[in-house]
Amino acid sequence: MKLQTAKLQTILFGAAVLTVGFFLAQQGGLFRPKPVAAQTPSQVTQCETLRKHGDPGTKACYQKLSTSNDLAIKAEGLWGLRDYQGANNAFQALVKARPKDANLKVRWGRMFMEYSQPGDAEALFKEALDIDENNAKALYGMALLATDTFAGDASGLAEKALKADPKMFQARELLARIALEDNHPEKAVEEAKKALDMSGEALDALSILATVDWLDDKPGTEWIERVFKINPTYAEAYSTAGHFFVINRRYDEGIQYYRKALEIKPDLWEARAELGINLMRFGQNAEARQNLEACFNANYSSPLVRNSLKLLDSIDKNVETFTTPTTVLKLDKKEGALLRPYFQAELDRAMAIYEKKYKFKMTGPVQLEVYPNHPDFEVRTMGLPGLGALGVTFGKYVAMDSPSGRPPGQFHWASTLWHEFSHVYVLSMTNHRVPRWFTEGLAVYEETAASGATDWGDRLDPPSIMAMKDKKLLPIADLDRGFIHPTYPEQVIVSYFQGGQVITFISEKWGYDKVLAMIHAFADKKDTVEAIEQELKLKPEEFDAQFFPWIEAKYKKQVDGFQSWTDQIKLVTQAVKEKQWDEVIKRGTEIRDIYPDFVELGNVYEFLAKAYLAKDDKAKAMAELERFSAVGGRRLEPLKQLADMQTEAGKKREAAATLERLNLIYLEDEAAHQKLGKLYMDLKNPNGAIREYQAALDAGTIDKAGAQFGLAQAFQAANRPEDALDAVYSALETAPGFKPAQALLRELNAKQSDNKQSGNVKQ
Amino acid sequence: MKRILLLAVAAISLRADSYFLTVAGLGGEDQYDQRFSGWASDLTKLLKTEPGAKVDTLSGKDATKANIEAKLRALATTKADDSLVLVLIGHGTYDDLDYKFNLPGPDISATELAGLLDKIPAKQVVINATSASGGSLSTLQKPKRVVVTATKTGTEKNATVFARFFIESLRDPAADTDKNQAVSVLEAFRYAEEKTGKYFETQKRLATEHALIEDLGKGEGVKAPSAENGEGLIAGRQVILHLGSVASIVNDPEKQKLLKRKDELETQIDELKYRKAAVPQREYQQQMRQLLLDLANVQAGLDK
Repeated sequence: MKLQTAKLQTILFGAAVLTVGFFLAQQGGLFRPKPVAAQTPSQVTQCETLRKHGDPGTKACYQKLSTSNDLAIKAEGLWGLRDYQGANNAFQALVKARPKDANLKVRWGRMFMEYSQPGDAEALFKEALDIDENNAKALYGMALLATDTFAGDASGLAEKALKADPKMFQARELLARIALEDNHPEKAVEEAKKALDMSGEALDALSILATVDWLDDKPGTEWIERVFKINPTYAEAYSTAGHFFVINRRYDEGIQYYRKALEIKPDLWEARAELGINLMRFGQNAEARQNLEACFNANYSSPLVRNSLKLLDSIDKNVETFTTPTTVLKLDKKEGALLRPYFQAELDRAMAIYEKKYKFKMTGPVQLEVYPNHPDFEVRTMGLPGLGALGVTFGKYVAMDSPSGRPPGQFHWASTLWHEFSHVYVLSMTNHRVPRWFTEGLAVYEETAASGATDWGDRLDPPSIMAMKDKKLLPIADLDRGFIHPTYPEQVIVSYFQGGQVITFISEKWGYDKVLAMIHAFADKKDTVEAIEQELKLKPEEFDAQFFPWIEAKYKKQVDGFQSWTDQIKLVTQAVKEKQWDEVIKRGTEIRDIYPDFVELGNVYEFLAKAYLAKDDKAKAMAELERFSAVGGRRLEPLKQLADMQTEAGKKREAAATLERLNLIYLEDEAAHQKLGKLYMDLKNPNGAIREYQAALDAGTIDKAGAQFGLAQAFQAANRPEDALDAVYSALETAPGFKPAQALLRELNAKQSDNKQSGNVKQ
Repeated sequence: MKRILLLAVAAISLRADSYFLTVAGLGGEDQYDQRFSGWASDLTKLLKTEPGAKVDTLSGKDATKANIEAKLRALATTKADDSLVLVLIGHGTYDDLDYKFNLPGPDISATELAGLLDKIPAKQVVINATSASGGSLSTLQKPKRVVVTATKTGTEKNATVFARFFIESLRDPAADTDKNQAVSVLEAFRYAEEKTGKYFETQKRLATEHALIEDLGKGEGVKAPSAENGEGLIAGRQVILHLGSVASIVNDPEKQKLLKRKDELETQIDELKYRKAAVPQREYQQQMRQLLLDLANVQAGLDK
């Protein structure tokens, strides 16, 4: 449905997310199990066995295969030597000769996976399944791809593969990985042990078991010793651990595991690339570049590596840094002057409030990086473009989109900033041991609670309404799954909403101190179930039994009325097109409060305002736009229109507040800055006016003389005559005949002369 | 110098007539028809506020080739001191040979428009705000004629937004960057060009139009007119709309002296700006500030 899609997109952008693992997984192939040996020529199996055991003769084995006259064997040999181009040519010729060979297509697809071309891999797996729908290897390949993209059917595909080939221990290993990504370590252990029952040399199962122990601060000796007994150079075990530590936001430890992997196998390029990316996230750009360039020079130039190197070049050239004792703010040079006052103020305010609220003082400065180019932000955070988030937190490092990085009105940058800095505190307080649902839910909650502004944060969106209606909200013990392995497209968004509501519920029913107590429980290594039991004295099922009725009652009006609202808003839209203003007012007023959170394009507030204006009722039009603003509307035009109407009606304080809201959404509108500057002058707030006129100039206003003159007046009002004189001279240099500026210059000059004279007298 | 010329133009403009002809071409679809005729109507309302302006508009079914030809032929009786601003709003096409402005019935080509304009003695400004309008520039350009196009070539074929911002420049005091209470063609162009660029930038869309201005009558149009490329001098003198009341002629001999002094100061300011790169910064600032203060004092004398 168009309405839902549009809203979904907005909410995707609006939700500042931290689903690092989700997107990391898109990078693909960190610790992909080795190719399936069954039904492959014995020579190939022999090489794979050597590789599996870390035998130094592996390379020679593949070299031998690569000279075979049998094209199938030659392709495997070239692939084993990482001669992807040669292998691709061989596979291409083979498939042409044997178009109905499903296994061949699967092998070729697996090669594409390794070469970071998942789209080609998927096409080949599908072709194989078209030939043989029960081809276990193709099903397994699809399961791997689904896991890499964290698609909901990964488990189902792995189960299907197992059904088709019950001896395929690799599929069982994959199920263990999925379970651990879902934050179900017990299930992961169970699946890994089943894989080991199927094959005592299931290296990835052993790696998962070791990782589960390491994540739980246990030595994992038993498992890693078994790994190295099978293959003394199986660095992938540590790389696997690196992946899981990173997706659990324990980045420092993740980096250490990648380093360990590379000590054993320096040419494990996937791990080196991950090391580079994670170092870049923490601002260690020199070492990051070193590792990424090593990958690139070794012909491992995945998009992740290429993009990151490009970004590092851009950062070196374009970023300027502003530091205070507690913060590091990194802004693009082209907009640094404009953004800095606003971002620094919000950053300082957020830190002061969180410090008090969480009763926690950060040690060392936090860092905020702001990207005007969204693809740069995506690469900075994930290595690849395509990320739907606006902000991402890595420990004490936050990267986010600039307000100029999105079309105006699409997101509230201050809300995003506060969201991310909630993570900074919670991650620090828990040493990164906090379930995703909790930190995201708390960050969503804080967007409005901590900031003290109800119009911040996300609005109730159609996917969340539908999820409540269809009873799709998840039990608390399972809520993390909604973030990591969503089973329907909007589930991540719905899970953010649910997380925020859970925190609201706890705060309302037990008090905010219980939320804090839960943070400490997580810091104390308790999981969700344990934290709920310890702090709320409830079993998770009991919590659900209280939470679900609460949320159903809270949103009953919206859920029950949604269908009717959807039908009615279409009629209102049609009435607007036909300029039937009475009809717009009648129907619009009837449905406005059924779903008040809908403030996107086509919202009822703007329709009503338009109708009232058409009927020359400015007061009512303004009232509708005020509702739009109060409920969290972010579209620029109605907000600017509201500010103009408020100014015209003499409601200068309200108009200034509206334009201040606009500043938290979009900072590039120089005309709005000038208007706010004037309002602040009228409201006797010269410092506010100085900021706004300066912003107009920094935003590149075409009316330079006007803004400089406004700035001069503001400086004068703030009793800064020297600055006023500088500003008025600037205005006149731009427009020498600007009469009001000339008058101000004469006035300032006269005062300066008087002061000099009186100073002389005193001397 | 520039300032003296401006005054001369201001004085002359009191005797000369200003003609405006706005044509909103064929939209092809309702939304474009409405948009184009709406813009033309907005522009007409604004231009009618200009004292003594003779404002004519053709839109909808009236915007035919025959009507345009008739209106332009009628202007053949204008004087050299008069001015004509022709604004074309709508769709245009370009076939590598000639530009055509899309109209109900037969289109009119740039060659045909140029032929008609060449017969008009008045100073001319052509604002071709249509798609593909860049394709008309070389045909329309002529010494002393200002030509503005919404696109840089005939191949920029998407519907344009330049006209919207050009009209906005006439109602936004911010467009009057030299604060002389009048919006010149140059100021309107700069305003609209910048706003159009920002429009695409903020929408995160690839810009499909790049406006140009040309008033030398030779060479290609430019995006940024300046002393360096020589473009914009005539456009800077040609006022489209006065924002405040037109200054009265000063007859007082004392004030004539002040006026002369004002002209001198403005010329010195222009010259100093021109030499900015060659003058040490501190010296430049001192000189500029003194000149600006002197100018402010002279103006105060004139305003008494």
